[in-house]
Amino acid sequence: MTEGGIKRRGVVTSLGQGFLRSETTVAIVLFALLAGLPVVVSGYTIYILPQYLLYGMLAMSLGLLWGFVGILSFGQAAFFALGAYAMGLSETWGLGPNPAYVGLMASLVTGAVLAAAIGYFLFSVDVRHVYFVLVTLALSIMVEQITVSQSQVTGGYNGMYVPRMSLLTGASGALSLSKDAAIYYFILPVVATVYSLLRWVLARPFGKVLVGIRENEDRLIALGFRTPLYKTAAFAVSGAVAGLAGALYGTHANFVSPSLGGVLFSTQVVVWVAIGGRESLLGALLGAVAVSALSTYLSALIPNYWQLALGIVFIAVIIAFKGGVAGAVMRVAERSAGRKEHG
Amino acid sequence: MGELLRTDGLTKRFRGIVANDCIDFTIGLGEVRCIIGPNGAGKTTLISMISGHLSPSAGRIWFKNQEITTRSVVRRAKMGIARKFQTPSVFDRLTVHQNLELASFGKPMEVAERAVRLEEVLAITRLCEMRRTVASTLSHGQRQWLEIAMLLANRAELLLLDEPTAGMTAEETRATGNLIRMLASRHNLTVLIIEHDINFVRDLRAPVTVLHLGRVLTSGSLDEVAANEQVRDVYLGRE
Ligand SMILES: Nc1ncnc2c1ncn2[C@@H]1O[C@H](COP(=O)(O)OP(=O)(O)O)[C@@H](O)[C@H]1O
Ligand SMILES: [Mg+2]
Repeated sequence: MTEGGIKRRGVVTSLGQGFLRSETTVAIVLFALLAGLPVVVSGYTIYILPQYLLYGMLAMSLGLLWGFVGILSFGQAAFFALGAYAMGLSETWGLGPNPAYVGLMASLVTGAVLAAAIGYFLFSVDVRHVYFVLVTLALSIMVEQITVSQSQVTGGYNGMYVPRMSLLTGASGALSLSKDAAIYYFILPVVATVYSLLRWVLARPFGKVLVGIRENEDRLIALGFRTPLYKTAAFAVSGAVAGLAGALYGTHANFVSPSLGGVLFSTQVVVWVAIGGRESLLGALLGAVAVSALSTYLSALIPNYWQLALGIVFIAVIIAFKGGVAGAVMRVAERSAGRKEHG
Repeated sequence: MGELLRTDGLTKRFRGIVANDCIDFTIGLGEVRCIIGPNGAGKTTLISMISGHLSPSAGRIWFKNQEITTRSVVRRAKMGIARKFQTPSVFDRLTVHQNLELASFGKPMEVAERAVRLEEVLAITRLCEMRRTVASTLSHGQRQWLEIAMLLANRAELLLLDEPTAGMTAEETRATGNLIRMLASRHNLTVLIIEHDINFVRDLRAPVTVLHLGRVLTSGSLDEVAANEQVRDVYLGRE
């Protein structure tokens, strides 16, 4: 039966090493190009690109979970917003010699611990599929509500100012990241490092077990794997990545408000990943960057219809390629590889 | 031959149906045992209680002299009880080698030890040439073999095989019999097999336990069992 299902799609999708090697090549070229970009481009592009890359990091946090473990979360924005608030509060309260570092650490820990707690609680009683989606949806709603209601701490609807971080303390302006290019060259390597680390994790036995959970969890359990612990760990990593992205976003945008943690934004993350391709981390990253850039472009071009136009693009991509753009590329690559093999 | 597994008064009731009724059963280390019986006799239910997928309504189970009646599937698997499901359960989108590697991660092993073990498993299950093949494109018989291979890669000690030859050609069925005999004699594995195919059971030359309506009807060699009047009634439908 499965055989028929696979054949209908025309080509057998394996998790080919070949594709991963070519993804690595594309990623290296891409990050190299991005590193050189400020030499030729300046202005708004260099200002806004780090934000898109941080959206991309948020998308990777979902891609890891949804694409590789098979767990869909509508709560990624909650971790992102909490990370941004952690950064803002750390700066407001002036924690430590350099509050920015405390904020970054706090965002990482908050995301990891909250996700681990929720994950452990849900996965150990075997909450799966739609029920997990609902809980993560509720998490987004809660974070949005709490940040609105605790206005004496968070600034409520008005949001909170977050200063630009600097790399060192001391004389003001010493290694400050207030220049667009400066923070660009801080965020780009962070995103590239997170991408590489996630790829590395997925290539480890731990990552292979995660894929096994996506493919056939009951089989793994019967082979002696405590899958709830693996899922909890994956969710914790995902929460940490989303939290860190949020902290960097806060300091880059100089601002955080409750909508950053809301259901609407969480849904956007799911759309980015669906479009980019959930079974590829690079696909998720590029999906977020491309869709955000397209939104900005279209909203200037056709202010009244841009959301409609974008919606049509979403639907078209999702109908045309089930695995997103990366999934389509993967299949084309495999088909041509297969043709070469068969002469 | 030491005792590996023992059940004592094992009973399973499903709303009104008694699927297993007070089953006392032992299997020794390195033994091969067949369970036969008509459809609905309770064979799969018995295996599910041993693997931990079903909890018994009454009775107890011992494995390696420890009581495991209430232990989870995972804990039993870690102790060495591994199950092949009635419909092959493998990782469809992974290659044969990736399937086996993943199964091997279930037990701690040195990297070199793992590599050697996987090659050995590929060789004895005749999947060497298929190592790069995606599981979903294997024939039904090969999928059955792959699942058995996964249990070996996982370093299982008691194999619970639920109708392993279903969907196999005559030649594959014969090869499966040889494989199982070899696993018991050369690798000291203990194998409990549910089987329909009487020719396969005869070739195995293993002791047989007959289940009927959730009870053990009789046990013994195939010839002894076949001579049993009650068994003839059940199989010829004279009841
Ligand atoms: N999960 C279940 N719920 C209710 N009845 C079940 C369940 N599993 C098995 N049974 C019943 O228990 C009896 C034994 O089933 P099973 O162990 O699958 O038999 P076999 O494997 O020998 O064909 C059958 O009457 C079957 O309908
Ligand atoms: Mg059965």
